[in-house]
Amino acid sequence: MNLKRIGSWAIFSFAVLYFLLPLVGTIEFSLRARRGVYSFDAYRSVLEDSQFQQTLAYSVILSIATVILGVLIVAPTAFWVRLKMPRLRPVVEFITLLPLVIPPIIIVFGYIRLFNTSSILPLTGSARGTDFLLAAGYATLALPYMYRAIDTGLRAIDVRTLTEAAQSLGAGWVTVLARVILPNIAVAILSGAFLTFAIVIGEYVIAALLNRPAFGPYMVWMGSNRAYEPAALAVIAFSMTWASMGVIQFLARRTRFTKV
Amino acid sequence: MSSLALHRLERSISLWLGVVPFFVFAFVFLILPTLHVVIGAFTRPDGGPTLANLSGLLSGPILSALWASLRISLWTAFLGTVAGLLVAGAVTRGGLPPALRDAVMTFSGVASNFAGVPLAFAFIATLGRLGLVTVLARDWLGINIYATGFNLTSFSGLTMAYLYFQIPLMVLIIAPALDGLRGEWREAAESLGASGAQYWRMVALPVLWPSLLGAFALLFANAFGAVATAMALTGSSLSILPIILFAQIRGDVLQDPHLGYAIAFAMIVLTGGANLIYIWLRVRAERWQK
Amino acid sequence: MRTLNALVSGVSLLAMLTATAASAETLADIEAAANKEGALTTIALPHDWWNYGEIIASFKAKYPQITVNELNPDAGSADEIEAIRANKDNTGPQAPDVIDVGLAFGPQAKQDGLIQPYKVSVWDDIPADIKDADGYWAGSYYGVMAFGVNTDIVQTVPTKWDDLLKSDYANAFALTGDPRASNQAILAILSAGLSRGAEPGEASGSKGLEFMAELNKAGSFVPVSGKSGTIAQGQTPIVAAWDYNLLSWRDQLAGNPPVEVVIPEGPVLAGVYVQAISAYAPHPNAAKLWMEHLFSNEGQNGYVKGYCHTARFNKMVAAGEVPKELLDALPPADAYSRAVFPSVDQQAANKEVVSGKWDEVVGAQVAE
Repeated sequence: MNLKRIGSWAIFSFAVLYFLLPLVGTIEFSLRARRGVYSFDAYRSVLEDSQFQQTLAYSVILSIATVILGVLIVAPTAFWVRLKMPRLRPVVEFITLLPLVIPPIIIVFGYIRLFNTSSILPLTGSARGTDFLLAAGYATLALPYMYRAIDTGLRAIDVRTLTEAAQSLGAGWVTVLARVILPNIAVAILSGAFLTFAIVIGEYVIAALLNRPAFGPYMVWMGSNRAYEPAALAVIAFSMTWASMGVIQFLARRTRFTKV
Repeated sequence: MSSLALHRLERSISLWLGVVPFFVFAFVFLILPTLHVVIGAFTRPDGGPTLANLSGLLSGPILSALWASLRISLWTAFLGTVAGLLVAGAVTRGGLPPALRDAVMTFSGVASNFAGVPLAFAFIATLGRLGLVTVLARDWLGINIYATGFNLTSFSGLTMAYLYFQIPLMVLIIAPALDGLRGEWREAAESLGASGAQYWRMVALPVLWPSLLGAFALLFANAFGAVATAMALTGSSLSILPIILFAQIRGDVLQDPHLGYAIAFAMIVLTGGANLIYIWLRVRAERWQK
Repeated sequence: MRTLNALVSGVSLLAMLTATAASAETLADIEAAANKEGALTTIALPHDWWNYGEIIASFKAKYPQITVNELNPDAGSADEIEAIRANKDNTGPQAPDVIDVGLAFGPQAKQDGLIQPYKVSVWDDIPADIKDADGYWAGSYYGVMAFGVNTDIVQTVPTKWDDLLKSDYANAFALTGDPRASNQAILAILSAGLSRGAEPGEASGSKGLEFMAELNKAGSFVPVSGKSGTIAQGQTPIVAAWDYNLLSWRDQLAGNPPVEVVIPEGPVLAGVYVQAISAYAPHPNAAKLWMEHLFSNEGQNGYVKGYCHTARFNKMVAAGEVPKELLDALPPADAYSRAVFPSVDQQAANKEVVSGKWDEVVGAQVAE
């Protein structure tokens, strides 16, 4: 028993060392901007950089667009499958697993070849079109997580009764979805939303190959061309991801107590 | 059409209406682009079918990039599986305080998403020429890591960086499986005279192996497809398959667009295959967790 | 479908060409047409390199009605050519209007029909050996190949190419990009070849590759794209790049860490960069305005501020049009006096050897 306990502590300590050191190292490096003295110069330089503000704003807006697109696509489908077409469930679930199977670089390669201006859907022909394509790409990447989040949310409520009740009061399908179902799975949707946000903020490959001014390519560019700012950026990015995950955990804990 | 048939048609249309947006979206933005790439791998520039693109994969630089990718992915998957199993084991059944388990699981959730660009920066800041660990090793221990030929862009450097998201991913996957090892089994084994080692060898491991193998497959796929981390560490000169594909898409460095399709196809087969193995094994493993 | 596409692109190309011929009469006409186009798409123009940040800003100030859409600042010359090629049928913001590529890439782009001719108003000021006789491309600036060294990490600064093979420089040296795509990297290899006594051209390509293979085997080569960030963070303490880039980076890092710029002994390689307008440019008139801007006094002095020598340098210095502070800040003239200017053909021959054989001869693999 004792040997096992010692062994466990040893393993745990090694793990802590391995995982904490890079974080400490990054913070330390980011404070070295001024020679010989620790300072927040790198952070100030990053936060004041107009490129930082623009690309971060772009990525935040894009993540909101992605979440909306994702909810619009997934929520009706999950609802419908649960209520009316349970036989479709394996097919739908298989499709939602595909983005985990196919590397994003392949998907964006397909986009570039398929949606240029000589095709039926010339999305890359305009800035807005490419932005939409980027959002579609992100929605595809986030599909597995969105679907699982919303499906879990639907599982927790009694979809059939709620729908029948609403319909008996004269609601049409859109009303049922928008005003009855969605508010009840709001927490689940929020979890999916924050996970999508974390994915979109850090994503590099799709944004770089589609040439959009997103946060990921900005970070890579900073990494090559600035000395200490990249470490500051990494700390900022990590804090944002941690905060998102923290919110998700908090929301998950709340649902446990508010389930009927 | 009779009014009954019309009515039935109407009903089945309205039945499918709810899921049509999903299928259209998935088809246009997921399935079609992938199919386009796969078909492209087998077509010539003039449109005819060919296997020449695939044989181009076996040429010198691409083959060595493929091999480099395979080695890194297999090695980090293996190390990640072992290390992750040890950590998850220590935290779930190693007699440590339960609060540590929650902390580790939360951290793993965040760390497995901490891939890509910020991770590369973190490692440069820690193990780079001027990184914290390098400097501390030099100042406190008198060891010059870089004199031994170590480099962040070498095989060992990349392995260390990749493990940062591989190990947490493993912990997340295997912890539920470890929880599924019921205490009664151990008691039953001991009451029949089995030693600890025998319990592990004949009861626990057979139950765990689908999860372990599946996790290995997932970690392999994860490492194989990782572009952003490697690119942020090295730019586009490093010879691993995803970076070559990236450079080819952006700058046609191989001077043959259909070779790009072939590389993409190879990636799909390898990562797709590994992921399918993971999914199949997970379904099998979940039988024990019911 | 394919014939229809061909017909459509053929017609639009015809329309563009006739439009070009018809409207390119006076500068005022061009400006009016450009303002109507309202945008300019550039590629591979990092703000810290060649002082493009200021040059773009001054262009925007001159023509406030034109929005400048900047694509991928990290693109190499081959990436830019590929961007034109990939966006032939695309009139959206992915398609670059103008490119800034190495001398060796100009004739190739012309041959592939990817660029269109335009002779700027000061065309005659540009030396004949750095411009295309038919007006398809023209060199706007040049510099010489040098080493940038992070002196926090590297104590003894290398003074010539062969120094790099010494064991002091393990894991230290990098090029600025992929030798299959980046002009700067390809010419660094030419410079290495020159240092081994080869003539510019195929010989410099082979000797240069030989050198890089030795460097790789000695463990000195790091397969990372070296830039100011990687020099400062320590992954690439020594980088071979154009002197103007190295000087700008040195300034930008402001001593933290200190960077020394060394022009290696022996033959000094001068590299010219040429400007061209894409044959499929969605905004051809804005592109012409941009070209005029680059070759104007304002544009040329912008380059000089970025430590470049410009196409019209000698003429402008003689006419007193270059401010004294800029002249004083430039690198010492004696290095420039031994500069070698490889001809277009020599550069093309070198490029073919380097980009074709890089993988075979050196092929920087993931090291153990």
